[in-house]
Amino acid sequence: MFSSNPSPEARAAGIRKIVYLQEEVLLENGTAPAVPALKATAAAVVANPWLGTGPDTDLSEQAKLIAPQIARELTGRLLAGLGGAEAIEAFGKAAIVGTAGEIEHAGALIHTPYFGNLVREFLDGTSIICFADDRAEAGQPLVVPLWHKTQAATRSHYQTATARVADGPLPHEIVVIAAASTGPRPHARIGDRTTDRPVTAKILAGATA
Amino acid sequence: MNVRKIITLVEDTLTEGGRAVDPAARVAVVAAVIENPWHGQGFVEDLAPGIDATASDLGKLLAPRVVEALGAPVEAYGKAAIVGLDGEVEHGSALIHTLKFGDHFRIAAEATTLLPAVEKRAAAGTVFDIPLKHKTDATIRSHHQSIEVRLADAPHPGEIVIALAAAAQGRPQQRLASLSTEQ
Repeated sequence: MFSSNPSPEARAAGIRKIVYLQEEVLLENGTAPAVPALKATAAAVVANPWLGTGPDTDLSEQAKLIAPQIARELTGRLLAGLGGAEAIEAFGKAAIVGTAGEIEHAGALIHTPYFGNLVREFLDGTSIICFADDRAEAGQPLVVPLWHKTQAATRSHYQTATARVADGPLPHEIVVIAAASTGPRPHARIGDRTTDRPVTAKILAGATA
Repeated sequence: MNVRKIITLVEDTLTEGGRAVDPAARVAVVAAVIENPWHGQGFVEDLAPGIDATASDLGKLLAPRVVEALGAPVEAYGKAAIVGLDGEVEHGSALIHTLKFGDHFRIAAEATTLLPAVEKRAAAGTVFDIPLKHKTDATIRSHHQSIEVRLADAPHPGEIVIALAAAAQGRPQQRLASLSTEQ
């Protein structure tokens, strides 16, 4: 699938553990999806480089050092597991900061070009990447939103993947997650912006009068 | 056999106890979420027909996948059956505690020992730990380990989660003396 050994740069970034979770849906509501999809999350557990620093601390220097290595390592696993950038249609990202950290620390590792731009580049997308972030104890699941990597408003690709690291983040760690899917929801059939009829409270009031 | 989804979990440990683990230690799990073959049938006295219809196919489905996910020779292994709330623990045990199931993994892993197992009844999203032991000598203490698994939406009440786990090595910083030193 992919090597267990990360790059020396990824090790230098302080990664303790990498957890890859992939899901293949064969039946949904008893029926095989018309478009079968693989969905995966790759999560890196890294040491929080800003532990013990105050809210006036500049986060950019460490983000610049660490985030690109995490982006490369995580997308490498998604690409290998899901069949390459051409197979991947949707993406998302997330971070969980441990309880000794600041929520801004989670944001610093995913909401800057040092992570987001590279994930987008490696997965060959153009959309803004949707996200979730949280501060939690180890073992807390996080639902990661995904949407289409080039057409973010494509409703069929609105979906989520649940990521979880059993023993992370420790209080002094941050879990950084990249997520991707090779297709839409199993039986996507709720239309799209192009097919929606106009809906307002007034229109609905008229429809039910 | 109706399989709703297949989940692959690959966990690589790069450091443990503050020290590098090099090469990284890998444990892989592949789980199938299947319809409980006895769902809705009340108390079924003879489980053999259901076992015959399901267990071997399950082993055949999961064994090559977990070996591939590990990407290295298997050194330790284990298995799991998590039965949804409408079923009996015996239903899960029926599917995994048979050579028809386990031999697929034993052959793929070139293993000889019995597979350690966890089996329980639980709601979807339950956390379970799969125990692993060395594949040819279950007394090799360095390889006693477990991996924690959680599937967000399984098992449903009428389902069973069946999983295989494989490790490419013992515990990341294993340093206990062998069992024989205590004898």
